[in-house]
Amino acid sequence: MKSGRLWKTTSLFIVLAVVSLFFIVPLVWIVASALRPAGSLYQYANPLTWGTFIPSKPTLENFVHIFSKLNFGRAIANSLFVSLVTILLTVFVSSMAGFSLAKFNFRGKNLVFAIVLITFMVPFESIVIPLYILVKQLKIDNTYWALILPGVANGLAIFLFRQFFSEVPSEIMEAARIDGASWFRIYWRILLPLSMPAIVTVIVMVFMFQWNSLFWPLVATHSSRFEVVQVAIASHRSTESTSWANLFSSAIAGSLPPVILFLFLQKYFVRGISGTGLKG
Amino acid sequence: MFRNGRVAWLFILPALAFLLLFKIWPIGVSFIESLTTTSFRGTKSFVGFENYSYLFRYDPVFWNSFWVTLLYSAIVNPLIVLSSLLMALLLNGSYFFTKFFRTVFFLPTAISYAVVAVIWSIVLDPYYGLANSFLTSFGLKPQPFFASPDQALWGLIMLNVWRSSGYWMMYFLAGLQNIPESLYEAAEIDGASTLQKTLKITLPLLTRTMSFVLVANTAFNFLSFAPVYIITKGGPMGSTNLLMYESYKSAFVNADMGRASAITSILLAIILVFSFFELKLTKANFEY
Repeated sequence: MKSGRLWKTTSLFIVLAVVSLFFIVPLVWIVASALRPAGSLYQYANPLTWGTFIPSKPTLENFVHIFSKLNFGRAIANSLFVSLVTILLTVFVSSMAGFSLAKFNFRGKNLVFAIVLITFMVPFESIVIPLYILVKQLKIDNTYWALILPGVANGLAIFLFRQFFSEVPSEIMEAARIDGASWFRIYWRILLPLSMPAIVTVIVMVFMFQWNSLFWPLVATHSSRFEVVQVAIASHRSTESTSWANLFSSAIAGSLPPVILFLFLQKYFVRGISGTGLKG
Repeated sequence: MFRNGRVAWLFILPALAFLLLFKIWPIGVSFIESLTTTSFRGTKSFVGFENYSYLFRYDPVFWNSFWVTLLYSAIVNPLIVLSSLLMALLLNGSYFFTKFFRTVFFLPTAISYAVVAVIWSIVLDPYYGLANSFLTSFGLKPQPFFASPDQALWGLIMLNVWRSSGYWMMYFLAGLQNIPESLYEAAEIDGASTLQKTLKITLPLLTRTMSFVLVANTAFNFLSFAPVYIITKGGPMGSTNLLMYESYKSAFVNADMGRASAITSILLAIILVFSFFELKLTKANFEY
C-alpha cells in the first residue's frame, strides 16, 4: 500500500517535470540571455550546450543600464500608478453595481444585465479605434485618464461581484435596515468586507489587464512622460535594430510585479473564483 | 430581493455610465462607421451595407482571413481548454511540489503578449532558434516554423497554449476545489478507480467552469493581434492573416475605416454566435 503511494507520487512528479520543461525552457533561456553582457543573442543558441542556459560570467549590467540610462523606473511607476487607480475605481464602481444587480428588483434590470454581459464578451482590442475618437473628443488623450478610465468599464468585474453577493443571505441586510442603517452603510460596512475573495480576483484581473496592455497605450498617449511598461519594452525592438540585452532585461524586470502579486494572492485568487458561482 | 428602485439605480449608475460611454458607444460608432465609405478627398458618405456585401462577394483576402480565423479558433480553443484542464487535474492534490509547479505553469501568464511573441519568434527562428537546436541535437531535421505557410499558424497556436494555459488552469483548480470530497469517498467505497472517478465525477461537475473558460477564451482568441503583428504580419502567403490583423491593416495601413469597421463588426457577430453555441453545448445540467 505504502510503496504504491510512493510510486504514484514519483510518477506524478516526473510527468509534471516533463510538462514544465515546455513552459520553463524558453524562460530560462531569456533569463540567461539577460544576464550576459550585451552582444550577439544567437551566439549561444546553436549548437546546444550548457552554456546556452547558464551564462559563464553572469552580470547585472543590462538591468543597471535600463534603470539608470533608459529610465525604465519611470515606466514601472507609470504602470503601477495607472493599475492602482484603475483597480480602486473598478472595485468601487463594479461592486456597487454588483450589489444592485444581486439584491434589488427594479425596472430595466434585465436590460442593464444584458449590457453587462455583452460588454464582457466584447474585448478591448476590437473597439480601440472608436475609443480613440471618443477620448480625443473628451480632450483626455495623452493623459493618465485616457489610460485609466476605459479600463474601469469592466462587465466581467460587475458579473463576478453580482455572483458573489447573490450568495450572501438577504436577512443580514434586512436586520441592518431595521436597525436604521442606510443602504450605503450596508454596502460599505457589511457586503464589501465580506467580499474579499471577489475583490482579490478583480484586483488580479484588472492589474493583469493594465500591466500587460500595449496596443491602447500606444494609441492613446504619445509623450514619454506617460510611457508604460509594455511600451517601454516594445521600444527596444524595431524593424531596423533590436537591442536584445535591453529587451530581455526590461521584459524580465517588467514581469516581476505580476509574478510577485500572483505568489502573494494565489490562494485568494482561487478562492475568489470558486466563490462566484463559476464552480463546477 | 429588495424593491427600492431608486436605490438600485443609484448604485448601478456609475458602472452603467462607464459601460455606456467606453463600451456601448464605441461599439455603436464602429457599427455606424461600417456603413460609410471615405473618398479620396476624405469626405464620408453613407453606403448602407455595401462594405459588407463587398467583403462577402468580392474580397478573397477577407475570405482567406475568415477561414484562417475559424481554423485557428477551432484548434486553439479546445487545445487550451484541454491542456489547462489536464494541468489542473495533475495539480489538484497537495504534494510538496504542487505549489511549485502551479507557479511554473502560471509564469508565462505574467509576461505580456508582446514579449511572449518576441520570445517565440526567437525560439522558433529557422536558422538560429532554440527549437531547431533541440531538433538537430536529437538528429531531426530543422524546421522553417514561421517561415512556412504550413507551419506558421501552428506556431501561433503553440505560443497561445504556452501563454494562457496556466491562467485558465487557475479557473479549473477553483472548480475542482468545489467538488465535495464526500462524492469521491463514496466512489472509493464502491471501488472506483482514479480514471473512473475523473470521468464520472470530476468532469461532469466541471462543465460550468468548462463552458466559462471556453467562452471567455474563444472571445479572447478571436482577437489575437500582437503575435501576428510582431511575428508574421499575416504571412507567409496569408496563412496567419487573422481577421483582427486584417481589420487593423485596413484601418491603419490602407486608411479604409469602412472596411475595417465592417470586419470588426463581423468579428463581434461571430464571437456572439460562437459564445451562444458554446453555452448551449456545454450547458451544465448538474446540480449538487
